Amino acid sequence: MNRAGLRLVLRHNALPLLAGVIFAAMFGLYLALQPNGIRTDVLVTASNKGVLLALIAAAQTLPVLTGGIDLSAGAIVVLCNCLASILVNGSGLQIALGVVGVLGGGLAAGVFNALAVVVGRLQPIIATLATSTMFYGVSLLLRPSPGGDVDDDFASRLTGAWYGIPVSLILLGAVLLLVWMPFRRSLTGRGIYAVGSAEASAYMSGVKVAPAKFAAYVGAGLLSGLAGLLLTLIAESAQASAIQAGDLTLNSIAAVVIGGTSLFGGVGGIVGSVLGAFILRTIGDLLFVLKASPLWQPLFQGLILLLAVSLGALPMLRIRNRLETYR
Amino acid sequence: MTTASASYRSCLLFSTLALGLACAAPGAARAADPSNAQCFTPASNSNGTVSMPAKKGPYRIAFANGFIGNAWRVQMLQTLKAYAAQPEVASQIKELRIVSVGTDVSAQIAAMDNFISAGFDAILIDANSPTAFKPVMRRAKQAGVLIVSFDNTLDRTATETDLVQVNQDQKAMGRMMGEWLNQTMKEKKRVIEVRGVPGNSVDRDRHDGFREAMAEDPGIQVSEVVGNWDDGTGQKAVADTLAVTGGVDGIYTQGGSTGVTHALLDSHKPLIPIAGEGENGFRKLIAANSKDGLLGDSAGQSPALSAVSLKVALAVLGGQSVPAEISVPIPSANYKTLEPGKNYFPELSDTFFAAHDFPVCDINLTAAQITGVAAK
Repeated sequence: MNRAGLRLVLRHNALPLLAGVIFAAMFGLYLALQPNGIRTDVLVTASNKGVLLALIAAAQTLPVLTGGIDLSAGAIVVLCNCLASILVNGSGLQIALGVVGVLGGGLAAGVFNALAVVVGRLQPIIATLATSTMFYGVSLLLRPSPGGDVDDDFASRLTGAWYGIPVSLILLGAVLLLVWMPFRRSLTGRGIYAVGSAEASAYMSGVKVAPAKFAAYVGAGLLSGLAGLLLTLIAESAQASAIQAGDLTLNSIAAVVIGGTSLFGGVGGIVGSVLGAFILRTIGDLLFVLKASPLWQPLFQGLILLLAVSLGALPMLRIRNRLETYR
Repeated sequence: MTTASASYRSCLLFSTLALGLACAAPGAARAADPSNAQCFTPASNSNGTVSMPAKKGPYRIAFANGFIGNAWRVQMLQTLKAYAAQPEVASQIKELRIVSVGTDVSAQIAAMDNFISAGFDAILIDANSPTAFKPVMRRAKQAGVLIVSFDNTLDRTATETDLVQVNQDQKAMGRMMGEWLNQTMKEKKRVIEVRGVPGNSVDRDRHDGFREAMAEDPGIQVSEVVGNWDDGTGQKAVADTLAVTGGVDGIYTQGGSTGVTHALLDSHKPLIPIAGEGENGFRKLIAANSKDGLLGDSAGQSPALSAVSLKVALAVLGGQSVPAEISVPIPSANYKTLEPGKNYFPELSDTFFAAHDFPVCDINLTAAQITGVAAK
């Protein structure tokens, strides 16, 4: 790769790269302030809750790239959480089938959203707001009171470490390398970006608009389903909690923005959102090591978040014309 | 307060609950006081105990709080800090680390994991979910960390041996208020019951207890309205009910008591007995209007449960055996016992939870001590 090519790559990925630098700095500080040094269990703890939000942020990124949004992402996580607390138990085969069932549930929820947005032509924000309430309703029916039983061994293994590397992190890496990277290069993947940049132009240029949008919402459902499975393994139980659903949805949107994906669509990607999710989670961890007083914590949290987002927006200040970001 | 009369009163209130040592005789309770038998009374549904090998202090204590978004939670945190700052408590604590993680269950689990990794001796928790902490409880047990959960407690399974839970008996609270109304009402024909948030277990338990007390006098007709533990909602519901029904003899409200009392005062009907929660505003109104017939009884979920939990943690770490499920006495006051500056505070806001002290637990923080630590 020549120097011009390298510069192009850098410029195209400026925001995710910056998010990576911010995350590295914050997490480095967190590890440096660890009272007992860097231990596997500290990494596993950070990884589990980070990957959970990262998966939901990844899910959120797909509709956002098309210029839409998925307000039901958190509700799908809770739905699949409740589903998994019923299905993921028993023998090895039963567990495997249960996992497939949970992911199928997420996929089905995604298809439902896609039908509402693409076929029903409803505004994504209101369509997914409505479906989120529906998904929450199904969760309540599945699990009227908190509880459930998940295979201990299976849960401990997937939320533990493998040769010192958190297993949840390996899972996330696999999703990025084996699913997202090929998908981004595929015709449908590029279609998602085209639709988000300029839907009319994409249509005129022969991009299949409807399938691209459909894929975005279905993919979001599937990734949210995976997050729901991970939440079940972390908690070994489920609770149909509307508060939890709302919390996760809001944080996923925040992570997407921190990671450099534009809410107007067409710019960004899942890698940035994943880093955004880890940044958000590290803010909470920093409160832990910096020993902030409890009543000051919300203020600190907000300030660090604002700082992170502002740093992410710095490259934009140098741009005289927004079109330059696409050059 | 370690007097025999206090023990006798708590026996009256809890006579229907299983109450071990403290109820046997007032004299015995005083003798047992160093072990906090009056404070650490077992809940009716539990007879197990928790003990750990005594550790040498001072201890490192952590608190993994959930959300921090309402007046009760803020006061709960302030009370914990104020109690930890008391000289005799502070000497036992090397470090008190508090983290509020919001409403996300996974973040609260991670906070507990972090505390375990950092080598804390005990972790307090006001849980976001009753069931999600099984795996982290296993890790806590392996690391020998004591967990004390309070307010929103956990569903206990058979495996948790190092878990103590501290709460107030909500059903007993409902029954206590019902019994007081029964004794205080002049006539007993019609009572308004203002319920809390539907579907919540606290609402269910307080309602059940109240109805048990009411059932002792079958002539009483109870009109139920939903107040969501909220001043505005309760005020509107009671104003409407008072407008359409004549001859109400008493009111029980689970929360939003200040609003409910305003509804009664604004109706310009004869004042009647009213039993409610522990809000300062409610107690202010009772104190101001009791001579005109607004007889009131006030008892509530105390934000000082956090302080009791800290006390429990220190006791267990010191080698003491305590009941696995602790039901602390319900702080209450009525129109006869209200004293400004002691159990209600004319200078503080209506939303302050005045039902906050636990004399039998030696937790007697003043309002100034609680609110004074806010900015630190």
